[in-house]
Amino acid sequence: MHQLHIDMPLMIAVLLASGVSAIAIFSASNSSENFLMSHLVSIGLSILAMIVAAQFSPLFYSRISPWLYAVCLILLIAVFFYGETRNNATRWIDIGISFQPSELLKIAMPLIVARYIASGSIPLNNINIVASLILVLLPTALIFKQPDLGTSVLIAFSGLVIIFLSGIKKRYLFSAITLFLGCLPFIWKTIHPFQQQRVLTFLDPESDPLGAGYHIIQSKIAIGSGGLFGKGWLNGTQGQLDFLPERTTDFIFSILAEEFGLIGVLFIISIYLFIVGRGLLIAINSDDLFSRLAASSISLTFFIYVFVNIGMTSGLLPVVGVPLPLISKGGTSSLTLMASLGILMSLHTHKRLIPK
Amino acid sequence: MIDNFKTKQTQEAERSVFLNRIIFSSFAILLLGGLIISRLIYLMVIESDALSLRSVNNTLRTQSIPAPRGLIFDRNNEVIAENKPKFQLEMIPEQVNQLDNSLLSLTDLGILSKDEIITIEERVRKNYQFKSIVVKRNLNEREIAILANNRMLLKGFDIKSRLTRNYPQNEIYAHVVGYMGSISKSDYERFDPSFYTGKEQIGKSAIEREYEHILRGAPGKRKLLVNVRGRVMDEIEKDAFSTGNDIILTLNSELQRTAYESMSGKKGSVVALDPRNGEILAMISVPSFDPTAISLGLTQAEFDKLNSDKKRPLFNRAIAGQYPPGSTVKPMLALGALDMGIVDSEYYHTCEGEFRLPNYSRPFGDWSTHGSVNTKRAIQASCDVYFYESAVEMGIERMSAFLKKFNLGKETEIDLASEKNGVVPNKEWKKNNFKSKQNQNWYLGETVIAGIGQGYMLATPLQLAYATSIIANKGYAYKPHILKQIYLNDTGEILTNEAERTDHLMEIDQQYWDIVFDGMNAVVNEQRGTAYGVFPENSNIAGKTGTSQVFSMDKRSGDDVPEELRDHGLFIGFAPINNPEIVIAVIVENGGGGRVAAAPVAERMFSKFLEIGGREVDQSN
Repeated sequence: MHQLHIDMPLMIAVLLASGVSAIAIFSASNSSENFLMSHLVSIGLSILAMIVAAQFSPLFYSRISPWLYAVCLILLIAVFFYGETRNNATRWIDIGISFQPSELLKIAMPLIVARYIASGSIPLNNINIVASLILVLLPTALIFKQPDLGTSVLIAFSGLVIIFLSGIKKRYLFSAITLFLGCLPFIWKTIHPFQQQRVLTFLDPESDPLGAGYHIIQSKIAIGSGGLFGKGWLNGTQGQLDFLPERTTDFIFSILAEEFGLIGVLFIISIYLFIVGRGLLIAINSDDLFSRLAASSISLTFFIYVFVNIGMTSGLLPVVGVPLPLISKGGTSSLTLMASLGILMSLHTHKRLIPK
Repeated sequence: MIDNFKTKQTQEAERSVFLNRIIFSSFAILLLGGLIISRLIYLMVIESDALSLRSVNNTLRTQSIPAPRGLIFDRNNEVIAENKPKFQLEMIPEQVNQLDNSLLSLTDLGILSKDEIITIEERVRKNYQFKSIVVKRNLNEREIAILANNRMLLKGFDIKSRLTRNYPQNEIYAHVVGYMGSISKSDYERFDPSFYTGKEQIGKSAIEREYEHILRGAPGKRKLLVNVRGRVMDEIEKDAFSTGNDIILTLNSELQRTAYESMSGKKGSVVALDPRNGEILAMISVPSFDPTAISLGLTQAEFDKLNSDKKRPLFNRAIAGQYPPGSTVKPMLALGALDMGIVDSEYYHTCEGEFRLPNYSRPFGDWSTHGSVNTKRAIQASCDVYFYESAVEMGIERMSAFLKKFNLGKETEIDLASEKNGVVPNKEWKKNNFKSKQNQNWYLGETVIAGIGQGYMLATPLQLAYATSIIANKGYAYKPHILKQIYLNDTGEILTNEAERTDHLMEIDQQYWDIVFDGMNAVVNEQRGTAYGVFPENSNIAGKTGTSQVFSMDKRSGDDVPEELRDHGLFIGFAPINNPEIVIAVIVENGGGGRVAAAPVAERMFSKFLEIGGREVDQSN
C-alpha cells in the first residue's frame, strides 16, 4: 500500500486552523517574524506528527495502548518523586528532553479505556465499570496532585466519556454526578490556594482588577471591544499594547475576537464544529467498538478543549490554563493534539483494510 | 480485531447503545456550543460599547505640557525675570538594570550622597515603575559633564531640562518683582487649576503673584497611546500650549540699581515715583534676598535661616514697613496751618529750644534753638517748637483730618499685596486701639508730638512718597502702580495701564503752596536748611528731612548709642520744583538723622535721575 492514509476533510480543516493560528500568533507576538517562523516550524512538525500517526493501523494503537499507558503511569510516578518544579507545579521530567508525561496521557487515555471496554462488550457490567474507573482515575489523581487541575479534568474527561458512551446506566450516571457535587467541598479543600483563588476570581473578577482578576477582565475587554467586525488585523489595542497577558498561548482567542470580531470567531468556531462533527461521523461509521470509542473520545475531548478555552477567555469558566486547540502556541500540547487527530484519521482510513 | 469474535447480534446491540449515546453527546455539543456563542454575542454585541470604552481608556493618556511663563521687563526693556533651562537627573525605574549598583556608582561619581540614596530607593518603591523620578535637581555643568561621560554605566538614567525662573538683576528687584515656588493647595484656591499642569511654578509674591494670571500661559495637551506599562507608543493629538504674556514695568533699572547701591549695608527702603502719572520708578527694600535661589527651591535649613534673620530680608519695607514719619510731615502741617489761618506768611514765632504746656512738668524739647522763624524758615530748619504750637492750636482732630487728605493712614492701592495702612492718630483711633480705659484717653501732649510726626503716627515709605507727590502736584496725584504695559503674546497687542488721577487738596490757596515749596527748597539750597550741603548748589529740588526716634533718650548721641536704638533717618523730596517729574522717599532704619543717613541717598537718586533724565523723556514719547 503506497497510498498515504489521510482524511482530506480533516486535513483541510487542520490546515485552515493552522493558517488562522499563524495569523493570530503573528499579531499576538507584536509582529515578530522570528516568533512566527518558530511557530510555523512547530505547526509543520505537528502536521507531520499527525500524518505519521495516521499511517499506523488501529490494530497497532490497540496493541500498544497498555504499554503506552504503563509507560505514562511510570513517568507520572517518576514526576511525583523526581520531577522538575516550575511555577509551584511539578509537571516536568527530564529524560534527555524535558517534557510533561501528562501530555502523552492525552493519547494513551482514550486508547487504553477504549481497548479495555472493547475487549468485553457493552453495556458494561459493574466490574468493568469499576476497572475502567480505576484506569481513568489513577493517572488523573497523579496529575491532579502535580497540581494541574485543567489537564487532569480533561484527561479524566477523555476516559470517562468512553464509559459514558459504552452505555453506563443512567442512574449510575446521576449518582456519580450527585457524588461529585457532594464531594465538591472536600475537593475545594484539597486544591491549592492559587487554584481556589482562580475559582473565586472567576466568580467575581472585578474584586481584584489589577491582580487575580486582571487576565479575565482584560480578556473580556479584548473580546467585547472587537464587536461585530473586529478592529482589524494587527490593530487590536488590547493585544498590540500588551494589555492582554499570555496572548500567544491561553488567551489567543481574545486576540482573534478583538481583531476579527464576532464574524471572525464564528468562522473559527465553525472550523472546530466541523472537526468535531467529522470525528463523530468517523466514530459512527467505524466497524469495530475500539475505533468507535477511541474516535468519539478524541472528538469529544477536542470539543471540550475548545469549550473550556473559549469559556475561560470569555469569562464563562474559571481560568484553568487550557490552550485553544490548533491555534495556541505550544510545543508538546499541539504535537499530542495533532497526533490524536492523526489517530482519528487512522481509524477512518484503515477500516476497510481490516479483515472481517 | 477483537470485534471479529462478537456475534452479529452483539455487534448490532453495541452499535445501537453507542449511537444512542452519540446522539445525546451531539445534543450536548450543540447546547455547549450554543452557550459559548450566546456568551460571545453578549460580549461582542450587547456589551461591546461598554467594553470598547474600557479598551480605549486602557490605552489613552492625556498629558499636559506646561507653558513657558511671560517675561518681565523694566520700562527700558531690560530683562528683570526670564526663564532659564535647568538640568536634572531623572530615572525610569523599570529601565534601570540594577538599581543598587547604579546608585552606588552615582555616589562614586560624587553626584549623590549616601543619605540621598536611601530616600531615592524609598521613592522608587512607592512610585510607578514606568514613571520618571527626579534623582538630582539643578545639576551644574561639572555634574552634567561627569554624567555624560558615564552614560554607559547608567542605563535608564537621563538628563532632563525644565524651565525655571531666573532674575538676572538678583537682589535688586527681589521685593517688588517677587519670586516663584511650587504650587500649593491654597494657590489652587486662588488661581484656576485648569491653567496648571502641576509641574510648573507659580508666582509666590509681589508682581509675580499679582500678575500671575497674565504671566502664566495656558498649558498644552497631548493625547498619548500607551501600552500596559504606560510607555508612550504614539502621539494621537496635540494642542500646543500658549506662552504667557510679557509685562513691562514702570520701574527703571538704573534708578533701582542706584537706590540699591546707595543703601548697601543699611536697612531701609527707597521709593521713587513719577508724580505726573503715578509710575513707580524705583522701589527697594534692604536687606534683600536672591529671588532666583528661592525660586529654584531652598532647603528647609536655608529657608529657616532667611526667615529667622533678625534683619528680616524677606520683609518688603517699602509697602509694609511702618515708621514714624517725623519731621517729614512738617510741610503738610505747615500747609494745614496756613489753610486753617493758624499762621500766615508774616507770622514769626520765636523758638527758645523748648515748648511748655500747662500741667506738664517737663518741656517738649527742640533739637536746636531756632530763634525767630516764620513758616518757610520753620520748614527749612525743621523747627519743632513752631510746629508744637501750631499742633496745639490746630487740635488733633483737625490735624488728623488734614493729614488724611495726603492719603496717610490708608493704603495707596498700589498693585502689590500686603500693603500696610500706617497710622494717623486721633481720639477715636486711640479709643479703638487701646484696651485699658485709662489709655484710651487722648492727652494734649500727644497732640504736641504728633505735630512733629512722632508718637503714634506711622507711615510706609510708599505712603510718604505718595503724599509727597500730592505736595509736588499741589493737590492731586496719580495712583501709584508698577505695571506699565502688557504685551499680549497671541495677538501682539500692547495694553497700557492707564494712570488714575485722584484729587486730594484742590482748594488750597496757591500762595500757601508757594510758601511750602519755598520752605522745602530752602531745606536743600539755603544755609540752615537741614539738608543744605548734601546736594549741589542751587539744585532744582524741594525736600524735607526727618528723624524719627526709636527710643526716647536724653541727649545721648553719637556712637555710644546701640545701633538698634539709633534714630531712623528719613528724606522726602521732588524735582524739578516747577512741574515735578520725580518724587523720592528714603528711610534708613537706625541710620541716625535724616540729614546724615537719608538725604545722601536721595541726592544720589536725584543726580542719577538728572543724568538719565533726557533719556527718560525720550522713552515716554
